[in-house]
Amino acid sequence: MVIQENMSIQRKLEILSDAAKFDVACTSSGVDRKGNGSGMGNSLACGICHTFSADGRCISLLKILFTNECIFDCKYCINRSSNDVVRATFTPEEVCELTMEFYRRNYIEGLFLSSGILISPNHTMELLLRTLVLLREVHHFNGYIHCKAIPGSDPALIEMLGWYADRMSVNLELPTAESLKELAPHKNRKNILKPIRQIQLRREHEYGFLGLEDQQRIRKQLTAFDDGTDTNNEFYEIIKQQTGLTTYTPKPKLNRHFVPAGQSTQMIIGATKETDYQIMRVSEALYHNFNLKRVFYSAFVNVNQDSRLPATEGGPPLLREHRLYQADWLIRFYGFQIKDLLSEKNPNFNVLLDPKCDWALRHLEMFPVEVNKADYYTLLKVPGIGTNSVKRIIMARKNATLDFKDLKKLGVVLKRAVYFITCNGKMMYPININEDFITRQLIAGKERLPAGIGQDITYRQLSLFNDFNLTTESLASNSHGKGCVI
Amino acid sequence: MMQKRIYVCENSIDGIFTAIYKAWALGYGHANNKIEVFCEQGEYSNMELFSEYIPIETDYSLVVKVARSIQSKISEEAYQMVCNVALSNDSGKADLIYRFLILGFSMGAKVVQHLSNEIVNRMFQLSRRVNNEVHHMLGFIRFAEQESGVLTCVIHPQNNILSLVVPHFADRLPQERFIIIDGSRNTAALHVPGKQWIIIESENISENVMKQFSGKESEYQDLWKTFFDSIAIKERANYKLQRNNLPLRFRKDMTEFQ
Repeated sequence: MVIQENMSIQRKLEILSDAAKFDVACTSSGVDRKGNGSGMGNSLACGICHTFSADGRCISLLKILFTNECIFDCKYCINRSSNDVVRATFTPEEVCELTMEFYRRNYIEGLFLSSGILISPNHTMELLLRTLVLLREVHHFNGYIHCKAIPGSDPALIEMLGWYADRMSVNLELPTAESLKELAPHKNRKNILKPIRQIQLRREHEYGFLGLEDQQRIRKQLTAFDDGTDTNNEFYEIIKQQTGLTTYTPKPKLNRHFVPAGQSTQMIIGATKETDYQIMRVSEALYHNFNLKRVFYSAFVNVNQDSRLPATEGGPPLLREHRLYQADWLIRFYGFQIKDLLSEKNPNFNVLLDPKCDWALRHLEMFPVEVNKADYYTLLKVPGIGTNSVKRIIMARKNATLDFKDLKKLGVVLKRAVYFITCNGKMMYPININEDFITRQLIAGKERLPAGIGQDITYRQLSLFNDFNLTTESLASNSHGKGCVI
Repeated sequence: MMQKRIYVCENSIDGIFTAIYKAWALGYGHANNKIEVFCEQGEYSNMELFSEYIPIETDYSLVVKVARSIQSKISEEAYQMVCNVALSNDSGKADLIYRFLILGFSMGAKVVQHLSNEIVNRMFQLSRRVNNEVHHMLGFIRFAEQESGVLTCVIHPQNNILSLVVPHFADRLPQERFIIIDGSRNTAALHVPGKQWIIIESENISENVMKQFSGKESEYQDLWKTFFDSIAIKERANYKLQRNNLPLRFRKDMTEFQ
C-alpha cells in the first residue's frame, strides 16, 4: 500500500474517480427543486445527462470515492485492502471545491459521493457528513447530492446525512447472503439492509408528518410475505423489527426534506452463480418492501483476476445486464410480476428475445388485442408498444379510429406488434397465430439491442464444458479411470 | 384556377403570427394561401409558378391578438407547441402552424390529442425535437470563466433554442454573470445577478473576444478531462453507444472533447 502525503488534487481525482467507476447509479433524477435565488443550483426531476464517457454511459454527477484506503477485503473490488494500488483520500474542502467549480461550469448536475472504509464505518461517515454540511451550509450548494450510507455506521450519522443528501444508497453488492459471505467477508447482509430500512422508515415518518402517507402501500408490504421463500424471510426479519432502527433525532435547521429523491441500490451480475430468477426475486422484494426508487445491475468485470471469481474473457455479461434492466422496467412500469416472466424451471432470460416478447409468445391466448378498445395495461403487454406509445394511442383514438399506418406515426414498433394486434377488428396481414411461426418471425426480425451488446449471440463456438455441464470429475468417473487425461 | 398567394414573413414567431393574421383576414380562402419564412442565406429558392408573393411586415399588435386567441380558443398546451415549432429549423414550419391553427380553431383544445392527423402529428414531432434539443443543451453547455469572472459559452444548436435554455441557467446560477452565444445565429443571452436576462442580436457578436480565460480556468478544464477519462470502464468501451447518446455535432463546443 502506497500512501502519498502531498498528492495533487489532479492525481487524487484520477485515482478516486477511477475507483468509483463501477458504481452504476449516476442518475440525477427524482427531485424537482427551483433555485433559491441566493446560492447556486437547482434540480430537475427528470435528471440531466451532462456527457457520455467512452463506454457510452451517462455522466451526470461528479462520481468519486472520498477515499480508497479501505479496510475491507471484498474479493471483487479493486480497492480491497489486500490489493497493491495507489491510495488517496480527499479532504472535505477539496471535494467542495471540485463540486462547486465543476457545477458552475455546467460540467455536472451534482455530487455522487461514495467511499471506501477509512479506519472505521463511523469515521468514514463523519467525513462524508462533514463534506455535505460544508457544501450545503458554507457554499450554499443547492444542486443534487447522492451519498452512500456506510453499512455498520451509527444510525444517528446516517439520519443526519439524510437531511443533506437528495438520494442515498446502500449497495446490496450481491444478490444473496451466501454470495456476500463468500466474496465480501467483512460485510453482512443484515448490516446492509438495516440502513436501507432505517432511511425508508424515516422518509415514511416525514411523509406521514406532512400528511402524504401512502396507506395502501404499507398494507401491501405487510401482505407480501405469503410464499415463505428465503429472500422474503430474510427481508421479513428486518421489516418486522419495529423499533431501534431509527433514531428520530431532531431535524437540523434546513429547508429540506429527508432524502427527497429516495434510495437506490446495486447488485453485481455474473460474479456469482445466482440465476436471473433469483436476482429478479430480490429486486422485486426490494421494490415492494423497501420502497426503493431503483435497483441497478452491474455486469461483473474481473478487475482483480481473483481465482474465486469467474473470468470475464468474453467481456462483461452486457446482454444479461440488459435483459435484467428490461425486466426491471416491466416490473416497475408495465404491471408485470416476476413470476410472469421467469420461474424455478425456467430461471434465465431468453438471449434471443426480450422478456416481453418471450412472455407474449407463451400467452398467445391473450392476443390479438384490439388497439381501438383495449385498456392501458392490456396495450402495455403488447410487444413493440411502450408506455409512451400507449399514452399516445389512448389520446389519439379519442378523435379518430386508428389504423396501422397511424400506429407507426405514434411510435409503435410494428415489426414486433403486428403479430399481436388488430386495428378495427383486422390484422395487418393474414397471420397464423402459432407460437413457432411467430417466434421464427420475431427472431428473424432481429431485436434492436443497444449498440455494442450481443452482436455475437447467434454464432458461438460450442463449449463442451460450459454448454453441457461437464466437469473434469464427472468425466474422470465416466471413463472409469481408464487413464483419460484431460 | 385562382392564383396562389404566398405570404413571406420574418423567421420568428412574431413574423409567422403576423402573416397568419393577415392571410386569415384577407379572406382569400385557406386553400389558396401559403406562408413561408424568409431566408436570407437562400437555403431554398423554389419559387412557385402562378403565385403572388406578398412580403409581410411584422406588426406586434396583430401578434398579441393571435397569441391571445390561441390561448383562449384552443389551449395553453397548443400555444406552447406552436411556440416550440416556431423556433425549429424546419423550412415548412410557418405553413404548418397555419394549418394547425385552422384545425385548432375548429376543434378546440382537443386538437393536440388528434395525433393520427398528419398536421398535428408533424407539429408534435417538431415540438418534441425542439424540446429534446433544449434538454440536451441543458447538459451539454460548458461555461468557461473569463478574467473578469464572467462565465461564457458558445453553442451551435440546430433549432433556435437560446430563449428556452437561458431560464434554466438563470435559475441555477442566480449569482453569476454569464453569456451564452448562439454561434450560428448571431444572438447572445446575457445574465446579470438580480436583473432580468436579455437576448441581443447583432452582427458584432464574435466568439473570439472571449478567449481571455481566468488563471484557474485551464486547471479546472484539465481536472474535468481527467475525470472524464478515468470514469470510463475500459472493459466496456462502446464508442457507438457514446455516439448515439452524444452526437458528434455537440462535441465541438464541449470542453472534454477539445
